[in-house]
Amino acid sequence: MSRLDWALEQVGSVRAVAVLRIAIGPITLLHLRPFLRDARAGVSYTDHFWEPFISWLPELSDRLWFGLLWLGAAAAVLMTVGLCTRVASAVTFAVVAFNLLLSQTHFHHNTVFLAIVLFGVALLPSGRELSIDAWLRRRMRRPALPTVVPLWPLWLLRGQIGLVYLASGGSKLIDPDWFGGLVLWDRMVRNQHVLDPTPLPAWSIDVLTSRWLFFILGPVIVGTELFIGLGLWFARTRLAAIWMAILFHIAIEISAHVQVFSYAAIAALAIWVTPTTRDRTVVVGGESGTARAVVALVRAGDWFARFRIETAGPAAPALTVVDRDGTVLHGWGATRIVLSRIPLTFPFFAPLLLPSRLRRVDHAGAAT
Amino acid sequence: MEPATETSPRPRWRRRLVKGFVVGVLAVQVGFAINGYRDPHKFFAFQPFNESSTWRADIVRVTWDGQRLPIDDGWAGYRWSSLVDMPALTGYSRTRHASYGIDATLAYLDDALDWVATHTPADQDTRYLEATVTYHRNTRGPEVTVLRSVERSDRG
Repeated sequence: MSRLDWALEQVGSVRAVAVLRIAIGPITLLHLRPFLRDARAGVSYTDHFWEPFISWLPELSDRLWFGLLWLGAAAAVLMTVGLCTRVASAVTFAVVAFNLLLSQTHFHHNTVFLAIVLFGVALLPSGRELSIDAWLRRRMRRPALPTVVPLWPLWLLRGQIGLVYLASGGSKLIDPDWFGGLVLWDRMVRNQHVLDPTPLPAWSIDVLTSRWLFFILGPVIVGTELFIGLGLWFARTRLAAIWMAILFHIAIEISAHVQVFSYAAIAALAIWVTPTTRDRTVVVGGESGTARAVVALVRAGDWFARFRIETAGPAAPALTVVDRDGTVLHGWGATRIVLSRIPLTFPFFAPLLLPSRLRRVDHAGAAT
Repeated sequence: MEPATETSPRPRWRRRLVKGFVVGVLAVQVGFAINGYRDPHKFFAFQPFNESSTWRADIVRVTWDGQRLPIDDGWAGYRWSSLVDMPALTGYSRTRHASYGIDATLAYLDDALDWVATHTPADQDTRYLEATVTYHRNTRGPEVTVLRSVERSDRG
C-alpha cells in the first residue's frame, strides 16, 4: 500500500471538524447577509450588472433565488446547532457554491475559501459530536454513532487549504513588485490620509510610509504565507504555523477587512488539530473550591477534547498533566501545556512552547 | 501524518474511488492556481491583493447624432451606481484602487458597459457607451485605454 493509500485509509476523531462546523455556520450567515438584505428589499442579482460564470447555468427567477438564499441561511443555522447535520452541511455548501457560480460579480477569493471549508465539513459526519443530532440519539437511548471515522475528507481539506496559502504566497514570490515591497508601499502611501489623523507621531508615519521598510516587509509577508502553507504539514512547525496564521489573519482583518476571510481562515485552523481526543490527562488537586473552578474552566475551554480530566485529593499538586507520550508535568509546565491547548488561550501561551517544539522531533506529532 | 490514528479496511474499489476523488479535486485546484497567471480575473487562483494599481474613468454615452454626454449625473432615469452595483466599479470618476488588479477591472468594466448598453430600454438616444480609463499599474503609468460597449440596436 502506498503512503497516499495508507493516509487515505486513516481514521480518527471528528471532534475538531465539529468545532469548525459550529463556527462556520455564523460565518456563512455573515457571508449571505448582503444577499439576504437585497432579497428582503426584493432586489435580485439580475437587477444589476451580472455575468454568468457558466453559460448553461440557468438564470434563476427572483423568487427562486430568494428562496435559495433563505434555504442556505436556514441550513447554516441547522449546521451550527447540529440538527440534520449532514444534510444541513451539504445544503449550506451547495447554496454558497451555487450562488458563487451564478455570476462572476459574486466572485471573491474569500467566498471560494468559504466554499472549500463548507465542502470539507459536508464530507465529514461532524454531527456525531457537539450536535442536537447526537443529543437526540442519547435522549432516545439509541447507540451513539462512532465519532472515529475515515479521515480522507480531512486530508483533502488540509490539502486544499494548504494550497490556498501556497498559491497566494507563490504568486507574490514570483512577482517582483510584491516581493520587492512596491505593492504594499504604494498602498500604504495612498492610505497615508488614514494614518495622519491618528495619535501616531509624525516620525512613525514617516517610517511607515518609507520605501525601505517595504523592501523588508514584502519578503517577510511572502515568507509568512509560504511558511504557513508548508509549516502546517509538519509536526515540528505546525504549532508555529498555526500561531503565525492567527496573527496573519488578524493583521489582514485590521488592515483590509476582507469580508469573511479572516474569520473563516482562523476557524479553518481547527482542521490542523490532531484528530484524537482525550489523549492527555489533566489531574487537578489542591483545595476543593479551586480544583472545582479549574476543572470547570478546563472543561469549558477544551473545545477539541484534548484532555481527560481527573480530580485528586487536596494533598496532590494543583495541576498535573500526563502528556500523550507519558511525560508527567507539574506546576508551570503543566499550566503552560493546558493553556496552549485551549483555543482561546492558545495565541498567548503557544509561543512559550515554540522554542522547545522546534528543537524536538515530536513523534507524537500533535499540533494542539 | 498523525500516528495516533489507525486504518479502516475498505474494499479496493472504494479506496481507488476515494484516491481518484482526492487527487482529482486537488489537481483541479492546482489547475486553477496555474490558470490564474493568464486569467485577468484570476478566478479560483487565490491571488488576492495582487496589485496596488489605481484607475479612474470618464464614461460617456455617444448618441446617434454624435454627442458625447457624460453619464455622471444619470440619464433617461438610469444611474450607473444602481445599474452596476459592484463595489469594484462604482465611483469610477475618482482615482481608486483596482481591487482585483487592473486587468480584472478593465475586463469587468468592459462587460459592464455592454450590460448597461443592453439593459437600458428607456434610453432612446444612446448609440454606445465609452469609457476612457486612465490607470497606473503598481505606480507605473499613467496608461490610457478606451473601452466601448456594444452598439445598441434600438435607435429611438
